[in-house]
Amino acid sequence: MKKFALILAVVMCLSVCISAFADQVTVRFFHRWPNEPKLSYLNGLIAEFEAENPDIKIVTDQVLNDAYKEKIRVLVSTDDIPDVFMSWSGSFANNLVKSGRVQTWDDLLAADPAFRDSIVESQWPPFQIDGKQYGVPWSMDGKAFFYNKDVFAQLNLSVPTTLDELYAVCDALRAAGYEEPISAGFSAPWAVSHYLGTICQRVVDPETLARDYAGQGDFTDPGYIEALNIFKKLGEYMTKDPNSVDHEFARNAFIFGEAPMVYLQLGECKYLRDDVDFDYSFFNFPAVEGGKGDPGQLTGAPEGMMISNVASPEVQEAAVKFVKFVISQHGGYEMTKQTGELSCVKGALDETNLDAKQLEAVQLILNSTQPALWQDNVTDAAIADAFMAGGQLLLTGDKTAEDVMKDVQAAAASIQ
Amino acid sequence: MSKMTPYVYVLPCMLLLGIFVYIPLVANFYYSLFSFSALSPMKLFVGLQNFRTLFNDSVVGTALINNVWYCVISVAVQVFLALVIAALLEDRLLSRVSTVLRTTYFLPVLISMTVVALLFSFVYHPKIGLINAALKAFGMKNPPAWTGDPKTAIFSSIIMSQWHSTGYTTMLFIVTIQGISADLYEAAEIDGAGRLQRFFHITVPQVREMMFVTMVTTITGAFLVFNDVYILTQGGPGNASTTLAVYMYRNAFNLDKMGYASAIAVLMLIICMALALIQNKAFRSGKED
Repeated sequence: MKKFALILAVVMCLSVCISAFADQVTVRFFHRWPNEPKLSYLNGLIAEFEAENPDIKIVTDQVLNDAYKEKIRVLVSTDDIPDVFMSWSGSFANNLVKSGRVQTWDDLLAADPAFRDSIVESQWPPFQIDGKQYGVPWSMDGKAFFYNKDVFAQLNLSVPTTLDELYAVCDALRAAGYEEPISAGFSAPWAVSHYLGTICQRVVDPETLARDYAGQGDFTDPGYIEALNIFKKLGEYMTKDPNSVDHEFARNAFIFGEAPMVYLQLGECKYLRDDVDFDYSFFNFPAVEGGKGDPGQLTGAPEGMMISNVASPEVQEAAVKFVKFVISQHGGYEMTKQTGELSCVKGALDETNLDAKQLEAVQLILNSTQPALWQDNVTDAAIADAFMAGGQLLLTGDKTAEDVMKDVQAAAASIQ
Repeated sequence: MSKMTPYVYVLPCMLLLGIFVYIPLVANFYYSLFSFSALSPMKLFVGLQNFRTLFNDSVVGTALINNVWYCVISVAVQVFLALVIAALLEDRLLSRVSTVLRTTYFLPVLISMTVVALLFSFVYHPKIGLINAALKAFGMKNPPAWTGDPKTAIFSSIIMSQWHSTGYTTMLFIVTIQGISADLYEAAEIDGAGRLQRFFHITVPQVREMMFVTMVTTITGAFLVFNDVYILTQGGPGNASTTLAVYMYRNAFNLDKMGYASAIAVLMLIICMALALIQNKAFRSGKED
């Protein structure tokens, strides 16, 4: 009899559990943050979310950057697509959206304008494809010239707002004994694309640029030649033999005061925090006289979250709820505090989770008109590759701007 | 013992080789006729288009020239110089220090190529590198940029590769020389042969088989080289130090052109097989004179 009671009790327990699970919606979340402190941040946030929403269970899977890139692209093309996942903007997002399994946010945002308005306006467009909103921006970044304020003050230099002023500043720095005013390391080619992407954006007509990057143009605009020549001229002020110097070395040359300027991502502030013993600040790449692009743009792209459109309506509803929880003032505040990534939720950033330099960085991003996506993200790999390889050889004098553009044109033709 | 027994013994090996070498080899030929990315659900048949692109691709030309440089210098150093070093180390003159020298030359072989390449990226560094510091100390105003200059980048990698691998072939030659009967040298000495004559008339003919082996592995290695270049220069600046293997990898995994990468792999296979056949004929390996 005792045995029977026990079995009965177990069965009852089980059935209660099962019915509890049956009411629970499981959302599968795939992200690229298996490393600390980012993993604990997300896990903490998920635990909070589940406590608030006992009927939703978040199941996570995570792998690091390059593996993530490969895996998510495979998953998206199958019905095994995760319900919520992370994405970079630009061509990466575009590739995912091509699968037809990514949900648009247009109706969701129209129904919840408060959510739309809670995010920094300029970060939305990078996730728009063919006029539709496919992702919600999560974190933001930008690329800027970092400069040694002490040296600038000493030499009475002001922040350059045009390219000619930048050249003049470089000349003045050189006259003061800084042989290499701009620290640069291009042994990894992406560093070249950060420069070229920005300069092309400043010089080339935005419509032509967008068409060419999308693979529908032929890169014959004379602006590209001008942009490459600007890069070559800037190269004369950079570290000698930059192709054999890596980006970290270039950054360290700035940190240790050997070079008064360096072109860095704002997220790199965290590397400077402990080692710099001078005051520094940053400025956006200056305007190019006669350039057709908007000089107010800042190169740098947001990362964001996407949801699948093949999941059942209940799961999708839960997924949206989860995304809104992660990308909220609370979630954003904690992200920046715990991981140093800059949240793009308005009001999530203040002096309690940022140091003074990061606050300045945020201000620079907010003051820019809109993000200009990384060149190696916004266009096809073959085109980006031709720009990067050509940029390296342009600096050594082994190729002219015209040669480089011929390679780019050939790459563009090869993908059409 | 049944007639089948020997086949049963070779079966596991044949299975493994078949699955991991020969089937992929054949599949690679097949893939080279298509245009596809790793993730595309379907392959587009393009016939010999990939090969047409291959022969018109200037980067393939650059890569081929770089591989030839790798090959020529590696054979000169890792086969001929290594043989000379081995003969010297086995000579009575150096018998006291030969053990120490042998170990010294062999040590780099034990270090992983990845570590060696990272190490050399410091050695070649234009700002903090050993080489340029030395050159500057000797009064050179503009020392080369090594990995950063398209003219020197591939040679930076080749020099590093020689430093790493010569000890290995030297060791192979030492072992072979030790196996040569002392009677031969003694007889030559009685006949009045000097060191050089003994080297050319006894050592060289006696190590012929080993020369064949080292030559095949060195030449094949030179046409397949990947690690050294990829870690040291990533094939840059531009494509100046790209080799066929690096270019294949970049096409497959950076540019997502799997079909084209397969075509490059086919080219590499043909080159290596042709060279191995030529050497086989030239050395008449396995036949006694």
